Amino acid sequence: QVSELVQFLLVKDQKKIPIRRADMLKSVIREYKDAYSEIVNKAGRTLQEVFGLRLVEIDTKRHTYILINNLPRAEGQYLCKDKEKEKMGLLLVILSFIFMKGNSVKDSALWEFLNLLRVYPGKPHGVFGDVRKLVTDEFVRQKYLESTLIPLTDPPEFKYQWGPRAEKETSKKDVLNFVAKIQGKNPTFWTSQYSEAEA
Amino acid sequence: ENRESMLNSKSNKLTEALEEANKLFDGVCRAREAALDAQFLVIASNIGKEKANELHSEMSAFDSTAFAEDLLTFMGINRTEAEDIDDSEDVPGGFLPADAWQKMGKEAPKYFRRAPTFHYMMGSFKSEPPVPKQRIERQKKSSRGKAERAMPAQLKKMEESHQEATEKEVERILRILQTHFENDPDTPISFFDFVIDPNSFAHTVENMFHVSFLIRDGLAKIKMDEDELPIIEPTKPSGRGEEDSRAGARNQVVISLDQKEWK
Repeated sequence: QVSELVQFLLVKDQKKIPIRRADMLKSVIREYKDAYSEIVNKAGRTLQEVFGLRLVEIDTKRHTYILINNLPRAEGQYLCKDKEKEKMGLLLVILSFIFMKGNSVKDSALWEFLNLLRVYPGKPHGVFGDVRKLVTDEFVRQKYLESTLIPLTDPPEFKYQWGPRAEKETSKKDVLNFVAKIQGKNPTFWTSQYSEAEA
Repeated sequence: ENRESMLNSKSNKLTEALEEANKLFDGVCRAREAALDAQFLVIASNIGKEKANELHSEMSAFDSTAFAEDLLTFMGINRTEAEDIDDSEDVPGGFLPADAWQKMGKEAPKYFRRAPTFHYMMGSFKSEPPVPKQRIERQKKSSRGKAERAMPAQLKKMEESHQEATEKEVERILRILQTHFENDPDTPISFFDFVIDPNSFAHTVENMFHVSFLIRDGLAKIKMDEDELPIIEPTKPSGRGEEDSRAGARNQVVISLDQKEWK
């Protein structure tokens, strides 16, 4: 049962969409519902010891899980497709912007910023295609970004924050270091962001 | 409108707007105008609140424009000296190369602890044990044939065939089939057992090819047994007449078999 679950999780993780407990029960665990938590724990251990991955519950109410890398980041080439890496590049830029701007930005502000990078919501992008869909759909479904409605706005406006996957896969410190590297400054240059990142 | 530009902490537009509203109010003498003025005040105070929020936010001043420019530099933008007439956008001149985001893509993974996506190296083919649901449909199809194929019966009939003419080969196969059937008329011969050569995929295909001639000529027929696996048996010569009258009994079947499945 455990190895079935491990395989199930590995395959489900391909799209980076969080895995629901209900799906796990339905597809793999089925009759063994009572042993559910034991099976999940064992699977988590296997993932960790064999694959160096961590199974993390990101929503304790709805019981959804993601897999993240437990190993320290290694230098050198990353074995994943260029497309995936480019998307991560865009994501990193967005996450940096959000953090540096106080952890929450309005939809309009985000696009204003992305426009400066020649990325436009209405215009198909040479690399990313339908960028608006990528940001508002894909990144949100994968839980890298969280989108919430700003109350009392008319017409309705949204704001973006870091999603739970972003919180687990990276850190404010890492992102601040990225910004510092790009701007050729010391991270301490932005004192309040720095203290928040170190906290 | 102009919300964003008003919010910009460097702009005094909000103050200007308020001052203008003040002046206009002096000229107000109708209730409707007063209502409009009140509406304006609500919006203005909302904007004021947002501006105040931005001041209060504990973040040190972050210049996103500068950040954007530095990002473009990192991605390898080619900035031109002269004021280029960039036909499409109103962005500062400069040519962003095609691999701009690739450069970003090279840097970005260092900041994420992303689990590498998992893919089976050879595709999945074992019918048991169960494999995640997405693959289950594929399993069902291949496991059918697997049960039989895994244990090919002794194929004594499959001696070396040395480039014989097709008809001769077909005749030979027919004779083998008939002999087999005579020896044991009650045991159905599995089609796969009959055609598969465990040592040669090419030979297997050849056998299937020859068998198809037998079928076409009505000298043999293929039926499905209880497990829905095909079995083959020669037709009795006397039965030919019946065969012909049952026109619907002859069907065309395309069997596909690739090297992996054969294995």
